[in-house]
Amino acid sequence: MDTLKNIPIVRKIGFNKIVLCLVLLIMYGMFSILSDSFVNYNRIISALNYAYFLGFLALGVTFVIGTGGIDFSIGPVMFCCAIVSGQILSKSSLPVWVCMIIAIFIGVVFGCFNGFMVAYCKVPPFIISMASMQIAKGAASVFTGAQIVKWPMAQDQTNGWFRNLVKYRLIGDTPRDVTIIPTGLICLIIVAIVCAVILNKTKTGRYILCLGSNKEAVRLSGVNVKKYEMLAYVICGILVGIASIFFVGAYTTVQPGMGDQYNNEAIAAAVMGGTSMAGGIASIGGTIIGVLIIALLQEGILAIGLTKDYQLVVTGLIVIIAVSIDIISRRKKN
Amino acid sequence: MGEVILTMKGIDKSFPGVHALNHVDLEIQKGEVHALMGENGAGKSTLMKVLTGIYSKDEGTIYFEGKEVSFSNPKEAQTAGIVIVHQELNMMGHLTVAQNIFAGREFRKGSFIDDQKMIEESNKIFKRMNINIDPTETMSNLTVGKQQMCEIAKAISHDCKVIIFDEPSAALTESEIQELFKIIRDLKKQGMGIVYISHRMDEIKVITDRVTVMRDGTYVGTIITEESTKDDIINMMVGRVIYEDPKTKSNVPKDAPVVLKVEHLNAGKMVKDVSFELHKGEILGFSGLMGAGRTETARALFGADVKESGDIFINGKKVVINNPMDAVKNGIGYLSEDRKRFGIVTGKSVAENTTMATLEKYCKGPFINKKKEKKTAKEYVKRLATKTPNTEQLVVNLSGGNQQKVVIAKWLVRDCDVLIFDEPTRGIDVGAKSEIYHLMNELVEEGKSIIMISSEMTEILRMSDRIVVMCEGRKTAEINIEDASQESIMHAATLRD
Amino acid sequence: MNNNSIIKKIGMQKVITLGILLLLLIFFSLANPTFRKYTTFLSLMGYTYYIAFMAIGVTFPLLTGGVDLSVGTGLICYALAGGYLVVYKGWPVWLGLLIAVLFGVVIGLFNGFAVAVLDLPPFLATLCTCMITRGLGSICSNGTGVPWPNGSAEGAWFRNLFRLKVGGVSIPIGIIWVVLAVVIMSIVLNHTRTGRYVLSIGSNKEAAKLCGINVVRYQITAYVISGFFAGLAGIAFAASFATIQPGLGAGFELDAIGAAIIGGVSTAGGYGTVTGTILGVLIMSLLKTGLPYIDLQANWQQIIIGIVLIVAVMIDIIRSRRVSA
Repeated sequence: MDTLKNIPIVRKIGFNKIVLCLVLLIMYGMFSILSDSFVNYNRIISALNYAYFLGFLALGVTFVIGTGGIDFSIGPVMFCCAIVSGQILSKSSLPVWVCMIIAIFIGVVFGCFNGFMVAYCKVPPFIISMASMQIAKGAASVFTGAQIVKWPMAQDQTNGWFRNLVKYRLIGDTPRDVTIIPTGLICLIIVAIVCAVILNKTKTGRYILCLGSNKEAVRLSGVNVKKYEMLAYVICGILVGIASIFFVGAYTTVQPGMGDQYNNEAIAAAVMGGTSMAGGIASIGGTIIGVLIIALLQEGILAIGLTKDYQLVVTGLIVIIAVSIDIISRRKKN
Repeated sequence: MGEVILTMKGIDKSFPGVHALNHVDLEIQKGEVHALMGENGAGKSTLMKVLTGIYSKDEGTIYFEGKEVSFSNPKEAQTAGIVIVHQELNMMGHLTVAQNIFAGREFRKGSFIDDQKMIEESNKIFKRMNINIDPTETMSNLTVGKQQMCEIAKAISHDCKVIIFDEPSAALTESEIQELFKIIRDLKKQGMGIVYISHRMDEIKVITDRVTVMRDGTYVGTIITEESTKDDIINMMVGRVIYEDPKTKSNVPKDAPVVLKVEHLNAGKMVKDVSFELHKGEILGFSGLMGAGRTETARALFGADVKESGDIFINGKKVVINNPMDAVKNGIGYLSEDRKRFGIVTGKSVAENTTMATLEKYCKGPFINKKKEKKTAKEYVKRLATKTPNTEQLVVNLSGGNQQKVVIAKWLVRDCDVLIFDEPTRGIDVGAKSEIYHLMNELVEEGKSIIMISSEMTEILRMSDRIVVMCEGRKTAEINIEDASQESIMHAATLRD
Repeated sequence: MNNNSIIKKIGMQKVITLGILLLLLIFFSLANPTFRKYTTFLSLMGYTYYIAFMAIGVTFPLLTGGVDLSVGTGLICYALAGGYLVVYKGWPVWLGLLIAVLFGVVIGLFNGFAVAVLDLPPFLATLCTCMITRGLGSICSNGTGVPWPNGSAEGAWFRNLFRLKVGGVSIPIGIIWVVLAVVIMSIVLNHTRTGRYVLSIGSNKEAAKLCGINVVRYQITAYVISGFFAGLAGIAFAASFATIQPGLGAGFELDAIGAAIIGGVSTAGGYGTVTGTILGVLIMSLLKTGLPYIDLQANWQQIIIGIVLIVAVMIDIIRSRRVSA
């Protein structure tokens, strides 16, 4: 085992990420055996649809967890972004790209609020995210009068194009012959690369992780820790805004008052991918693999005829097991 | 002399990479105060942790009242009659005094806790100790000294036969120490065996009967206090007569400009109206007992804590320092006494720690130039002779001395003109110590100025050009090195209102 | 002077909370005359019961310096599981109630094990059980809603535990159970070793360990208490509302945790009271029932509750800053 861990390429990628990739492959194999209908292009597209928005959420929360904080509000905030901007889109003549910017802007507002309260007012992150979760839910339903909001379908002449971000419909010889290209995957990968660069190659990322590891030491180095701590929440807010666009791009409708469960799944994905809840250690690659595992699990469980509920149970158990193994192996090392 | 109550023989304990205890012996008699001495890291605390069951021993035997014993946790040791008064206070601040004293072994009536009885018993103990503390007071409302007394009361409340005091006087005022000694003498009369761990030589002379000295995890010897001198003990502790030559005269030219001037600095209870000047190329020693307010002064100056009032001048110009960012901008660097908490980011690499305070220099736009960063890190590893396999090594894996060098490197890269070294050699072995001294001398020759806070008298006398002595938050003396002696410093350090 | 000592004894935070509670009551009564009706009181109690049980339970993990996020989805899960057996499998109601509570205890044990033995961060462990109970609840009931027996149906007697109908009048006797729970858990917290050790762990875990306190055991106990009360909350919920839908419950834990924090439980652990928590609960349920009377619907309630929570925590932070200074 240890010799395996010391192979240069394994060390470079990280042993646990390789294990996660294997888990992903084994799961794929398992579901293919359990369900005949699983090995199917549409299944993959459907799994990816789930992976997009969850991926952006998880990327966002990775930054926050990297500072040693937590954000429970991302799911409802994502819904709030989608609902408010969607409502604006349907009630006004604003072009869809403006509304997409509005969505991201709302995410940023929540990110700023959370970040400010945590970094400058020293409110415990979990409390403030509980509060902003309530506020996001409430604000969204106040805005629409608790109505469901629908984003334009792909067929919409003026505004439908935004769905191409999520999946591009390549129309063949006949209108019925449609090939779907998962453009969302490209977007997710690009954003993930940007996130990885921010986290590992920039001053911001460096300070975010360092302050997650030892905030006082970084502060005494003369670093504006409050700014960087807040920045982590703002980055998270941007990504939550982007997530909302991909959510409606895949699922069209959003209902006020929902979205809680996505917090848990996004946090689960990040933690599974090797981001430490104590802060200081975060991996963008790991987060993405974690997201893919959850998305695959979700699709696979539906494919073998079970409900979404089983996916929740299994995800919960996987995270507990993954983190326990991590903690136990670290304890052994000491 | 009384009969032997506790014997530790051939105790051996290793941690990964460290041989913490190498076949150590210790013998305690009834009715004696037995000092356990040694430099930082000599293994005193580890030995006591083995005794009280916090650590398990690898080898060796412990005899208590003639029987071989082995405790697997502190509670077993307590039940047998061995208790420890810890150096760091182990209290639950939200609970009351009585609740703390009897924590873990509450009196009960049926399944309910009998708080009334606990209060009565606490009162009895306090009466016996002849001190006045209200058992129903919340623990966090007491002064540090009173909290320490509660710890002792807790120890006494166990029907104990051996009490270990781990640096009990560190946080106490003079009058509290006298009170403590009275209590210890009382306990002694009652026939208890007392282990007294301390660094303060004069206390050792006053209160103890015998001294056991440890060095680098080994047993050096046991001597009778009355029959030995301070120097005997010190020689045993360091293994050779160092008492390194004190500096005899300042190396700073008379007309050296003032780089830093602090006037009437006030911050909380621990910093009261402190003023001083620091000249270019000078090492200004800050001496005083533990809790004299030296670290607090440094932190207030550096902007790490809030200050109430006071002016700071750099090169004659008044500056505003409200937080560490301001301080760093004004060319001040601060090496904390507590490296792990305030100095290094343990989970990050040598390179990352080295550039922590100067990252913008290594950035092109928002991006970090890792090559350049690595080059600088390497340069400083070489210059400070930091022992690390490479610059990617996580600092958590380095030894204390090398961690300290990484922190020093952080400020050197920043090219600070004023460096505050707070206990720069604490927990560092002798070799690395002299390297750090050497480095400090090099720095002042380059024209930097250093404020050095140190609790080691030898260090103060050896390094400083001028010495500021503090006591209870006030500056009590400023002594030129030519006039400085241990006695004059000690006198000022105990000068209370 | 004498007055002062009474305030000190009760605790400033509680006095303030009580004051706010009374102000809210007066405000709603003045704002809308229909608020001053008996039926309002009944519906207020309907909200109070389950939040109260949840909050009393969750107070204990909070006091250890942890948290239990699984109580919300948990209580629905337990009520669904118990109710499914009663409604679709024909089990007697008392057994269904027992199952609900037992289920809660088991999940509590699981949480306690994950936190105390496996050393998982409490957030993460209970976040996972939050997901797990959400899934399990729906799996247990086959994804359908569960209508616990109602009206004249056999087994509907259990609703009388909380709302007794005498003649045409409903008497909210559930109050008795809540008061009983508050009294018992106050005694447990203040006069038994369990409570003392829970507080000790929250105040300084390392010190508690050195005092020979079995930290693992009492941490687990705190989570079991939380699970047990989540089970009771499940019963209260089943008794107060007609049908239980799977998927409900997410966010309920915020009402409970928020109530505890408003009631003065420190977010860092080590300090808090059960009576304080119950005052927090009353504020929460009063906001839930009262706001519609001043024409603020559910969506506004959420925003206001969010703001109330922030204010409560800010007070806690300022207070603890003063203590440490």
